[in-house]
Amino acid sequence: CGFKLRGTGPQPILPFKTLFVSVAETSPLGVQLRRNLDVMSNIEIVSDRKLADAALEVLNEGRDKQVLSLNSQGRVREYTLLYRVNFRVVDKEGRQLLAPTDLVIRRIQSFNENQVLAKEAEEATLFREMQSDLVQQVLRRVSAIKPVQ
Amino acid sequence: LTAASIPLLADAQSAPRRPVDDPNAPTNLGAERMTGRPDREVILEQDAEVTRGETTLNADRATYDVVEDRVKATGNVRLKRFGDRYTGDEMDLKLDTGEGYVENPTYHLGIRNAQGKADRIDFEARDRAVVQNGTYSTCEGPDPDWYLQTGTMNLDTGRDIGTASRAVVYFKGVPLFGSPYLTFPLSDARKSGFLAPTIGATSRGGLEVSTPYYFNIAPNRDLTLYPRLIARRGLQLGAQARYLGDGYAGRTRIEGIMNDRVTGESRGALSALHTQTLAPGLTFNANVNAASDNEYPNDFPGSITNTRERLLLRDLSLSYAQPYWSAIARTTNYQVLQDPLVPIGRPYDRLPQLGVTAARQGVGGFDLGVVSDFTRFYHPDLVRGDRSVINPRVSYPIIAPGYFITPSASVHSSSYSLNNVATGNPTTLSRTLPTFSIDSGLVFERETSFLGRQATQTLEPRLFYVYTPYKDQSKFPLFDTTLAEFNFSQIFSENRYVGNDRISDANQLTAAVVSRFIEEDGVERVRMAVGQRFYFNQQRVTNEQAIASAGAVNAGGSASENKSDLLAAVSGQLTQALAVDAGVQYSQSIGKTNASSFGVRWLPGPQRVLNLQFRKDVPTGVDLVDLSGQWPIANRLYGVARVNYSRLENRVSEGLAGLEYKDDCWVFRVVAQRTPTATNVATTSLFFQLELTGLSSLGSNPLTALRNSVPGYTRVNEPVR
Repeated sequence: CGFKLRGTGPQPILPFKTLFVSVAETSPLGVQLRRNLDVMSNIEIVSDRKLADAALEVLNEGRDKQVLSLNSQGRVREYTLLYRVNFRVVDKEGRQLLAPTDLVIRRIQSFNENQVLAKEAEEATLFREMQSDLVQQVLRRVSAIKPVQ
Repeated sequence: LTAASIPLLADAQSAPRRPVDDPNAPTNLGAERMTGRPDREVILEQDAEVTRGETTLNADRATYDVVEDRVKATGNVRLKRFGDRYTGDEMDLKLDTGEGYVENPTYHLGIRNAQGKADRIDFEARDRAVVQNGTYSTCEGPDPDWYLQTGTMNLDTGRDIGTASRAVVYFKGVPLFGSPYLTFPLSDARKSGFLAPTIGATSRGGLEVSTPYYFNIAPNRDLTLYPRLIARRGLQLGAQARYLGDGYAGRTRIEGIMNDRVTGESRGALSALHTQTLAPGLTFNANVNAASDNEYPNDFPGSITNTRERLLLRDLSLSYAQPYWSAIARTTNYQVLQDPLVPIGRPYDRLPQLGVTAARQGVGGFDLGVVSDFTRFYHPDLVRGDRSVINPRVSYPIIAPGYFITPSASVHSSSYSLNNVATGNPTTLSRTLPTFSIDSGLVFERETSFLGRQATQTLEPRLFYVYTPYKDQSKFPLFDTTLAEFNFSQIFSENRYVGNDRISDANQLTAAVVSRFIEEDGVERVRMAVGQRFYFNQQRVTNEQAIASAGAVNAGGSASENKSDLLAAVSGQLTQALAVDAGVQYSQSIGKTNASSFGVRWLPGPQRVLNLQFRKDVPTGVDLVDLSGQWPIANRLYGVARVNYSRLENRVSEGLAGLEYKDDCWVFRVVAQRTPTATNVATTSLFFQLELTGLSSLGSNPLTALRNSVPGYTRVNEPVR
């Protein structure tokens, strides 16, 4: 049916070989981005921006939690969790290889006041999973960057 | 551990646009007839024109004083400079400094299309004018829908601020509002001034008038005051402050009413977020919420502190992060705003919680990590005590673009030291349980097309096996633990519980397949997923409390079953305007759908959005239809609505309906809302707002209900940038 294992076909040619990731090394997003980008056979992650052909800049990272629905007793029954990242890729000369791109991941979390501490832990787990999802989406955008004509 | 995120201030601050004129620009004179002495004074008659740089003055007759670089003009005087226009009977203007005056003028400011007339305007500089007995309006034409009638008005186009004394706002010729002093912005930039006021009524408080005022203190800090007069209760004062600095940021909302005439008490609420970097890697976080009494959310549903929640968190934490490890010290407590009809169980306080987490990746191919946590749980009535948890983990990830295999091993070791236990129950408990897991997946790709566009389709099968031996934990307390919600994230976790008080026994395999359509530029168009968990052993660890309170099936498959419910989901942005999201959780053993959701969002353009969602979840007791949208109904008239209908109770649990009428220089809004606040208590409210474009500052819309209720809502008078 035409499916081939990823990585066995010809690799896309990216307009950079080395990439710097401008997210703090202590941030979970930074750790996960570097690790997943490093797996790509056509990119090398470098820790010094001056040595990099291009830089992945995370311009904004934010989490939000909004009340989605109340039951007839006025109690919150569902929250929407939002995880947002705005990023771009620029080359050495500061030209944008990928214009600022907004990615938003949404999840609905059910809520019950009588389990609030557990729900807090569950929220953290959901945000971690949303972050992995988002990192995969960033990766796909980065690996689809075309050389500047 | 989560940290509340702090919304940042908008950075849309414009630098003052002081007009710059060439000081050496020549002055050119023109007229049908010119007389006088060329080096002293020139008299211009019939169609006089004087230009210098960006300034052009026309009049029937003018006298130009060469030495002072000054024009005196009479008859049909017209002045144009830097996009602003003035007319009048008589004008005196020093061309180099821009000082002077005009009698019986009309004016038009280019930046905001603002206009008006006056008895006299004194020019203090090129960008500063004092208007005597003048009017101000952003409407076009000689008969504006609204205008400001003022005693004295200062228009500072350099700082983009207008100030007026003895001001009265007229709408359709009727005086609406008077103020001894008023400021308003002359551009779209953030400036201090009144936000559009609202007038309305709520079923709990009666008539209500709110006139928020915005102070733009500095680019990185602002303050909004929300005075609100509630007929039955009295004057409520609210304030929101936001700040952002080098190493710190925060937001505080506070409101209060000194003497509520209904209850005779002082009442209020607070919500504060603050984060501060004390040293590199060392951060202090505070998230403090409070309300004066249990009835607060019922009586003040439009609260700026958003006390819709009945559990108000107080969380103070100090965290230290380094590249390979981090530590946190934290203390939390919840204020419970009790509803006597359906009581809320008081959550445990954590006094304190201490945690250290370390992780190192790629050590000889191994990933190493350890999570540790010590918490003292306090509750006045229930079992309380200390819990220590240490959870080291080692894994060996083998990752390639087309596949991954991650075997891992971990040990959960915890001990409890308890007091206030029931007679006969142990005061110390401990448990050590190993867990082995293998996570593996393949990624296949093929070139195809999706809705006529070139796309890559992926096929990503994944298998996840977990083994954890059984230990009887029925004597262990439940401080912070419950059965996790069953979903795609949960079927790939090792423990069926969230929290550290239960470690589920497992001999289970999760199988899932995901397929995506990805466009050439990397955008994911559609995702389809299906997954299920298979149990090789009967699950024996149970969470007595959760089963009792939910009174429902274990969503992950009841203990005796050999497989969990089947999960399937489809989501995608089908076209630019249309997005769908659907999911189902199906129990094969009872042949029933335990949970399902279907959502569609159609967003064909600005001010046009329709959202429809069906959500049903048997275990958590949700069964609702949520319909919301914003749509133009007629020319200039926009409708906004949301209905959240509970199919379990066959009634509307939340409802909102609004109309917005947008004229060229004003917007009128009516919003009616019904919000449940407690058992058998709902608040209905009706609000009116007249926003005079360009007079009120652009701040948070007092009717934030519109934006919060309708995902995709856009203001009808969104400034075009």
